Amino acid sequence: MRIRDTERLARAIETLGRGASLDRLVDRVYDLTDGSLALDRATLHRIARGKTQIARAIDSPEECIRLYFALMIVGCEQELSVATVVEEGCAVLSSFIGEPLAGLIFADLERTLPKLGDRVTLKEYLEEGLRVWLPK
Amino acid sequence: MAAEVMRALRAESHTLLVEEERLRRHLEQRFAVHTRSAALPDVRALLVSPANEGPKALLVASDTSAAERIYLYVHVAAHLALGHHLPLVTIVEGTPGLARLDADAHQHHQAERLARAMWWGRNDDLAAPRSVRGSAVLRELVSRGATRAALRSVLLALRAAYYDLRIERALARTPLAVWLRDALCVTAVVAVAPQLSD
Repeated sequence: MRIRDTERLARAIETLGRGASLDRLVDRVYDLTDGSLALDRATLHRIARGKTQIARAIDSPEECIRLYFALMIVGCEQELSVATVVEEGCAVLSSFIGEPLAGLIFADLERTLPKLGDRVTLKEYLEEGLRVWLPK
Repeated sequence: MAAEVMRALRAESHTLLVEEERLRRHLEQRFAVHTRSAALPDVRALLVSPANEGPKALLVASDTSAAERIYLYVHVAAHLALGHHLPLVTIVEGTPGLARLDADAHQHHQAERLARAMWWGRNDDLAAPRSVRGSAVLRELVSRGATRAALRSVLLALRAAYYDLRIERALARTPLAVWLRDALCVTAVVAVAPQLSD
């Protein structure tokens, strides 16, 4: 998968991780995605520093979506505001995939967000979102 | 200890729990909906779907009663039958009248109408228990708040007497006991979701 905006993606990962080490971030993403993202540390380090446009192990839109949900869940766990989690999560997905699938996902997020009252409910929504995109 | 167990058993009727399990299984088998509960501070349920007809996830607030979960399952099945989850739409169930959900009011209204038809209909999968759903008297009694509350009180009193007199083994399989159990189940569900009544 080619990354469109390496700089923005690097900033989003840094914000969502909120200072957590990249190794911890990789471990958490691996846990959240049940090991279905074979994202190696070296690749994530390169992505997080804006040093590569190629994201090996994230070759399908489904994998990008799982990374998007996982990083947003990390953002919730780091107690970032709902607005920040959403903004940075959208930046992650936009960096990887374009229309029409990303459009559907963003549209759903846009419709759903005003109906969710708080970060706890947002995190549950994201966890279920991730679960439906996990490989069966 | 035994008293606590008894109180817990009485807190959620076995009939309601069995009915809830039956409907949950139906959602899973017919609509590929996997259900789990979670602490949701201010919504009752979320149905999250992928961008195709693949497995979906239904998240139900952990403080819902069995009766409320039964209603939610029938209501969600109605949304699914109407295709409200497509192409990729999360369905949020809040408490009735929640202003944040006003935008979906039309869809929820449609789903309520279909859920009511399914609940009182002939389709065994999503309908109220067979022994009582054809009863015009019961349907009439649960359709108004006052008669519904009175009926529920009477049925709960009968249930308490049934257990206190220790006659459940002798009467458990009689048509009357089955009818009373199912009537209590239907009354409990309609009590938490009056929109299911006429």
